[in-house]
Amino acid sequence: MPNESAHTVHSYEQELEHLRSLISQMGGLVERQTSQAIAAVVDHDEEAAMEAPELDPKVDDLERQTEALVIRLLALRAPMAGDLREVVSALKISGDLERIGDCAASIARRALRGELLSYPVSVTGLRSMGRLVQENLRRTIDAMDRRDSDLAREVWQSDMAVDELYVSMFRELVTYMMEDPRNIGPCTHLLFIAKNLERIGDHATNISERVFYAATGRILPVLRPRGGIADQDL
Amino acid sequence: MNTIVMDDVARGVTDVAPPALSIRNLDFWYGTNHALKGISLDFPERQVTGMIGPSGCGKSTLLRILNRMYDLYPGQRATGEVMFDGRNIIAPGMDVNVLRSRIGMVFQKPTPFPMSIYDNIAFGVRLHERLSRSDMDQRVEDVLKRVALWPEVRDRLGASAAALSGGQQQRLCIARTIATRPEVILLDEPTSALDPISTARIEELLDELKRDFSIAIVTHNLQQAARCADRVAFFYMGELVEVDTADQMFTAPHKKQTQDYITGRFG
Amino acid sequence: MSAQNPTSTQAMTPASPPVAPATGGWQRGGAQAIRRRITDRAVGVACIVATVVVVYLLFSILWTLIVRGGAGLSLPTFTHSTAAPGTGGGLANAIVGSLEQTGLAALIGTPLGMMAGVYLSEFSCDGRIVSLVRFVSDMMLSVPSILVGLFVYLIFVEPAGHFSGWAGMFALTILFIPVVVRTTEDMLRLVPRAMREAAYALGAPSWRVILSVCLRAARGGIMTGVLLALARISGETAPLLFTSLGNLNWSTSLNAPMASLPVTIYQYAGSAYDDWVQMAWTGALLITAAVLATSILARWWLLRNGSVK
Repeated sequence: MPNESAHTVHSYEQELEHLRSLISQMGGLVERQTSQAIAAVVDHDEEAAMEAPELDPKVDDLERQTEALVIRLLALRAPMAGDLREVVSALKISGDLERIGDCAASIARRALRGELLSYPVSVTGLRSMGRLVQENLRRTIDAMDRRDSDLAREVWQSDMAVDELYVSMFRELVTYMMEDPRNIGPCTHLLFIAKNLERIGDHATNISERVFYAATGRILPVLRPRGGIADQDL
Repeated sequence: MNTIVMDDVARGVTDVAPPALSIRNLDFWYGTNHALKGISLDFPERQVTGMIGPSGCGKSTLLRILNRMYDLYPGQRATGEVMFDGRNIIAPGMDVNVLRSRIGMVFQKPTPFPMSIYDNIAFGVRLHERLSRSDMDQRVEDVLKRVALWPEVRDRLGASAAALSGGQQQRLCIARTIATRPEVILLDEPTSALDPISTARIEELLDELKRDFSIAIVTHNLQQAARCADRVAFFYMGELVEVDTADQMFTAPHKKQTQDYITGRFG
Repeated sequence: MSAQNPTSTQAMTPASPPVAPATGGWQRGGAQAIRRRITDRAVGVACIVATVVVVYLLFSILWTLIVRGGAGLSLPTFTHSTAAPGTGGGLANAIVGSLEQTGLAALIGTPLGMMAGVYLSEFSCDGRIVSLVRFVSDMMLSVPSILVGLFVYLIFVEPAGHFSGWAGMFALTILFIPVVVRTTEDMLRLVPRAMREAAYALGAPSWRVILSVCLRAARGGIMTGVLLALARISGETAPLLFTSLGNLNWSTSLNAPMASLPVTIYQYAGSAYDDWVQMAWTGALLITAAVLATSILARWWLLRNGSVK
């Protein structure tokens, strides 16, 4: 929960605000990257497909800035309690955001491949998965900006749906590949795209765990509700 | 009501051994000024308990109750219980001098007596024990070795203690205090007058001493409390707000007041 | 910068806000600074001049004492008692008389004065009694010594029917004590509270704290107080006039009138006889030398024991 009272040392407060804004900016950027990546795959949007990887350097730069600021805060301000949790979480969250960006860029690049553009298979599965992942990401970033622990917990719990969708996609694509060897190429690409989407979902969940810890000081149970492939029979 | 320490979470930390000191419902007045209100706090054995809080919150006052220092000044009185070795030390009829040989205190400003280094240490011992010359020599040596001062002063035990540096003087004061073989050591901002290196040496000494003594330390320096203390108690305006392990206190305190003080949001 | 205001070195530039570094560089302060420097110098010079005057006076006194008094220093001075002018007397009885009376006064007065000083400093529980004692002691510090002499005459000499060394010693003790009380109390108050508390914290009872820590810490200053008191009574003439009167013959008995250096000087100095006047000078020199010697001895002893203040 955000504190109503500000630090006695004003510059400290400003530095923390700067940290929050860096993270917020990163959040906004990767959200955009993700939505464009999904549009590239599902709607075959070429423009979107090109834009997503272009945002990557900016995201990386923000991550570097965040890390530098965190180190500086730790050395010079010796943050304690809530501040310490917030600062350390910011470091980890920025890492997760950066990886989300990478996944999104990877999806976008793959979406442009010729084989996929002419292959209409399984778009519905990816569409629902994409929509769910986007929604989770949006809510996680929201929780992050508002430091809302309740929202964070909700997002944390909804990762299971994404995992389940991935499992069903996996089965579907394997079936197609077994039916016709010519499907193997495109289906493998689709599989990687789906995997990346699932990774984005995982990272979003990581972020929500960090947000919860930063806000409350408690750690969500180690065993996150999962519907992962390892738990299932094929 | 300050029943925090009754909480299992906090209590569970103190393990099986009974606490060295146990305060129950302590109130203290400077004349008409109600300085401490209903304090209940345990000091676990062989651990360092840190006491933090803003100026005037009562932490030093509480420390000085533990060895009945307030007896020296008229108009100061305490009610409640402070249990040490089965007796309430603030009840009348307590032999204060014996108490002070079992609960020692080190002050903020190093105050070597105007005597030789040897006599400084022997002073306290002679008050309570009758030792032969060789036994006393041995005690002085043991104690000076414990505070890591022996190599520096072994050749000049007869020299005036005032010739030592600030950090050395404070270590001498600590040596003087442990020479009477107390069970508890109270420290009132012991390093606030010292430079960082001397401070570090004394913190290292405390770490080593807690193997044998129960320690209570009052400090303004949150970093020092974080470094030295096993448990930390936060005071505000004469009340005990929160007490917890240092780990918990500095990463996720329960009370907003504690959080505000620790993160620098007070005032 | 000062370039902004070439004509005025005094005024601050109106543009700078009130609580920020002022402009004006090294010209800051202007005429005010110059006046201040002059005043500073003037006062410094005045202090030096005053010191020179004082030192000259003291030195000239000392020098005169040495020159005039030294002329009369010889063995007979110490072996012969006071005698009629022209018969080659000395100061032996006066010296011994002074030693006895002053010494005894110091011996009795020091512990009494110190204990009173300890009481005033350490046991100030009842503020009113303490204030009263301190008030009386301060009054005694500045009472004219002749009054003390009269007082002792009335209560001691008259009832006894004769002058005596005891009375003289008693008068000197009365003059000795307040100085010691005052300095003891002041020096004890200077002992830091933390040191006292440290001693108590080791489990020491009150008397131990006072004896082993406070008095020991203050011993330099207390010694100074004792020496000051000694110097004071060494030269007192008026009280001795009414109490021990003086004795022309050799006598070491305190029950009888007793000679002393100050009284002898008083009797000799105004006389018409040259050798008596010479003896007076010598006597004065002896008193001064004795006080100086005692002072040096005491300081040396303290230094040896590791405390100088």
